[in-house]
Amino acid sequence: MARFANAKAPFVRLSDEKGKDTKTIMRDFGIGLMLIVLFAWYKNGIMVYAAGNCSFLEMMYPLVFILLAGFLAVLMEGVFFYLTNPEARTFKGLKKLLETSYGFVPGVILALLLPLYTPIWILMFGVFMTTIVGKMLFGGFGHNIFNPAIIGRVAIMFTVFGVVLAAGGFMNPNEVIYDAYGGATPLTLFSQLRTINYDALVAPYGSLWNFFLGTIPGSLGETSALVIIIAYFWFVFRKVIKWFTPLIYIAVVFLLTWLIGIVNGEAGLWFPLYGILSGGLMYGAVFMSTEPVTTPRNPLGKIFFALFVGALTVLFRYIGVFPEGVATAIIVMNIFTMPIDKSTAVIRSTGLNKKTLVPFLMLVLLLLGIMVYAVLKSIDMYTLSTFMMGGWF
Amino acid sequence: MLLKKVKGIHIEGRKAMSKSKHIYQDVNPQFVYIHLLQQTSPLKKLVEVGDKVLVGQVVAKREGFGEMPIHSSISGTVTAFKKVWHSSGKMVEAIEIENDTKYKNDPSVVKELNPDSLTKEELVSKMKEAGLSGLGGAGFPTYVKYMSKSPIHTVIINAVECEPYLTCDLALFKTAPEKVLKGLKYFMKAIGAEKGVIGYKKYNHEYPDLLNPLLKEYPNITLHGVKDVYPAGWEKYLVEQIVGKTYSRLPAEAGVIVDNLATAMVFADVVEQNMPLIKRAITITGEGIKHPQNFYVPIGTKVADLIHIAGGYEKGLDPANSLYIAGGPMTGRAILIDDLIVNDTLGGVIIKPLPEEKNHPACLGCGKCSDVCPVFLAPTEIQRAFESKDLDSIKKLNADKCIACGLCSHICPSHIEITDYVVRAKELLRKGA
Repeated sequence: MARFANAKAPFVRLSDEKGKDTKTIMRDFGIGLMLIVLFAWYKNGIMVYAAGNCSFLEMMYPLVFILLAGFLAVLMEGVFFYLTNPEARTFKGLKKLLETSYGFVPGVILALLLPLYTPIWILMFGVFMTTIVGKMLFGGFGHNIFNPAIIGRVAIMFTVFGVVLAAGGFMNPNEVIYDAYGGATPLTLFSQLRTINYDALVAPYGSLWNFFLGTIPGSLGETSALVIIIAYFWFVFRKVIKWFTPLIYIAVVFLLTWLIGIVNGEAGLWFPLYGILSGGLMYGAVFMSTEPVTTPRNPLGKIFFALFVGALTVLFRYIGVFPEGVATAIIVMNIFTMPIDKSTAVIRSTGLNKKTLVPFLMLVLLLLGIMVYAVLKSIDMYTLSTFMMGGWF
Repeated sequence: MLLKKVKGIHIEGRKAMSKSKHIYQDVNPQFVYIHLLQQTSPLKKLVEVGDKVLVGQVVAKREGFGEMPIHSSISGTVTAFKKVWHSSGKMVEAIEIENDTKYKNDPSVVKELNPDSLTKEELVSKMKEAGLSGLGGAGFPTYVKYMSKSPIHTVIINAVECEPYLTCDLALFKTAPEKVLKGLKYFMKAIGAEKGVIGYKKYNHEYPDLLNPLLKEYPNITLHGVKDVYPAGWEKYLVEQIVGKTYSRLPAEAGVIVDNLATAMVFADVVEQNMPLIKRAITITGEGIKHPQNFYVPIGTKVADLIHIAGGYEKGLDPANSLYIAGGPMTGRAILIDDLIVNDTLGGVIIKPLPEEKNHPACLGCGKCSDVCPVFLAPTEIQRAFESKDLDSIKKLNADKCIACGLCSHICPSHIEITDYVVRAKELLRKGA
C-alpha cells in the first residue's frame, strides 16, 4: 500500500499544459502591444529619419521612450515589493513576485497614451501613478479596480499637461515642419472649433485615409487604426480578448456620432468615420475596454460594459470640456464593473423573469438615457455659433 | 436568452492507451467487499459472519427512498464486516466475502422463458429486485425513473462517455452489441415509450458499425452521434441535442428518460437471465499504469488486484507525487491510499503523475470560466459571494444549479480551484437554508 498525493478535481487542466496559462495570455497580449510600439517608432522615428528631419539617435528616441516606461514600471514594482513584502528580500523571491505581476505591460500602455515629447520626469510621475497608485496599492496584479495606465494618463492630463504641450507635445519633427493644422490633434481642433464641417476637421490632415493609416498627429500609440485592427485580429485569434467588446464599443460610438451629425444637419458618413478614427477610440476599444482585470467577467457584463463605455465616450467627447472622452469613459465605467458584473451574472444565470426584469430594464433605460441626452445636448453645442460656447454647460 | 446555448469544449481524450484493448473478464478475486452504501444512503445488512452466500443472493438492502436489494457478486462465505475505502473518498463499512471460486448461482437466477410477454409492471419490479442503479457515475436507482407519472416518449441510452481517459463503456459494448438494443427495448416497454435513441460520440465509429446491421429487428431504435465535446454526456446536453428540448430538473419534463449504456446491457441480463447487478466494467489507466486496460469484474473486487493484472505501476512512479483518481479525471476524486474497492459507480481508476509545479498569478478576470459554464453561472462572482459568506448572493447567483462538471477549473489559466469554490458555496447554501 502506498500513500498518494491529494488534489482537487478536475485533474486535467489547461493551466498545467504549456501554452495555455496566464503567462501565455500575457505574452500574446505583449506581442499585440509590440505591434503598436513598432508602428509608433516607425511613424515618429524611422519616417522622420527617412525624411532627413532628425539624427540617428533621435530616431531611436520613441522606442527608447516607450521601453523606458516599461522598465520604470518594473523597477518601481520591484522597489514596492521590496519595501512591503518580506518575501521579496531575496533575489529569488523578488523574481517570483515580479514574474506574476507583469509590471511591464501597464508601463508600455501608458507610454503609448502619451505625446512623443512628454518630459521624462513627467513620464516617471505617470508611471508612478500607474503602477504604484493604480495597481500596487490596490493589491497588485488582478486586484486593481481602475485601469492603471488610464490612472497615469489622467493624472498627467489633469495636472501637468500644459508642460507636456509646451515641451513639444504631440508633434514629431515631420509634423512640425508640414504643420497645416496649427499644431493640434484632430480632437483638439474639434473641441476648439465646435463645428461639424469636413473642410475644417478632416481636410487639414489630408483625408480620412490618413486617419486610418495613422499618419496624423496624436498620442504615440493611438493614431493608426490599421495597426490596431491587426492587433485586434491577433488577440481574437489567440483568444486574449472577447471579440465582441471592441466591436460593440466602436459601433455605439459610430451610431451615436452619426445621429449627432444628423440632428445637426450633417448626414454624411464621413463624420461618424471621423469619430471612430480620431483620438484614442480604437486603441481604447481594443486595449483598454477589453482589459480583463478591470472589466466585467461574464459575457453579458462585457456587452453592457461596452455599450455604456461607448455612450459615455460620446457624451464626454462631444459634450464635455476635454477633447478626449475614451480615457474618462473607461475609468468611470471601471467603478461600475463590480455591480454590472454581479447584476448581469444573475440575469444571465436565471434568464429574464420577473425578478431579473427590473434590473435589466434599469440598465437598458440608463443606457438609453445617456444616449438620448448626448444627442439632444449636441443640438445646443453645434447649432449655435461658437462664441456662445462657454456658457452652455 | 443572450448567448444561451450549451456548446461545451473539446478536451483531449487521452483514451488511446486503453481504447483498443480487449476487456479482461477473468478476474478471480480472493475476497470481495460489498459496500454498505449506495449513493449516500447507508444499507442494512441481511447476512451474518459465517453465512454461505451464492452469486446473486441478497446480502443487504437499501431502505427509504429508492429502496432495493443489493446482491452478492460471488459465491462463498461471509468472513467479516470491515471498513474499506469507497470511491467517495471515505471509509465505509462493507461485507467481506471469501470466494469459493465456484460461482454457483442463487436459485432465483433462472432463464426467463418468454421475456417478451412481461408486462410494464413486471419489468419495473425486475429492475427493483435486481438492484439496478445508474452505472454512469450517479448510481441513481433505475426503477425510480421508470415509475415516472409524466408521459415518456423517448428513452435515450447514453453511450457518450465524455470523460477523458475512460473507455470501459465502449469496451463492454464491443463484447455484446446486441445486449444494448435488447436492454433498450425492455426499457422502452417498461415505460411505454415509442422511441429509443442511442447517443454516442461521432468519432466512436464502433457504435454505428456494430449496431447498424442489427437495427433492422428494432424498428423504433435509432442512433445519434454527438460532437466530441465535454460535457456531451451530461443528460441535459444529450436531451437537448437529440430531442431538441430542454428541462429544468428532470429529463421526464421533456418526455425523456436517459440511461447509461452499461445499465441497459445489465438490464438485458436482468430480464432474460434474472441475473441482478453484480458486475461492472472499469478502466484502469493513466500515465502511471504499465498496461492500461478495461476490466469486467464482480462488484467488490479490490482495485489493487486489477492494477496488478495491468502490469502494476509504471517503473519509478513516486506515489507521493502522483494522483490516484477514482472516477473520471474531470469529476473524480483523489484517493489517498491505494486500497480502493470497486463499487457500482466506479467507472475508472487513473494513476497519473502530478503536473509540474508552476508559479501561477492571481485571477486576471478573463471570464473564461463564465464562458464555458454549461449552466451559465458566473463562478468568479460565486467565489466572491462565498468568501464573504453572502448567502443571499449565492442564492441569487444560482450556485445550486452547478453540476460540478469541472470545466471552470479546467479552463482557468491561473489554476484557481474555482469549481471547488462553487461546490462549497452550494454546500453552504444547503446547510444555511
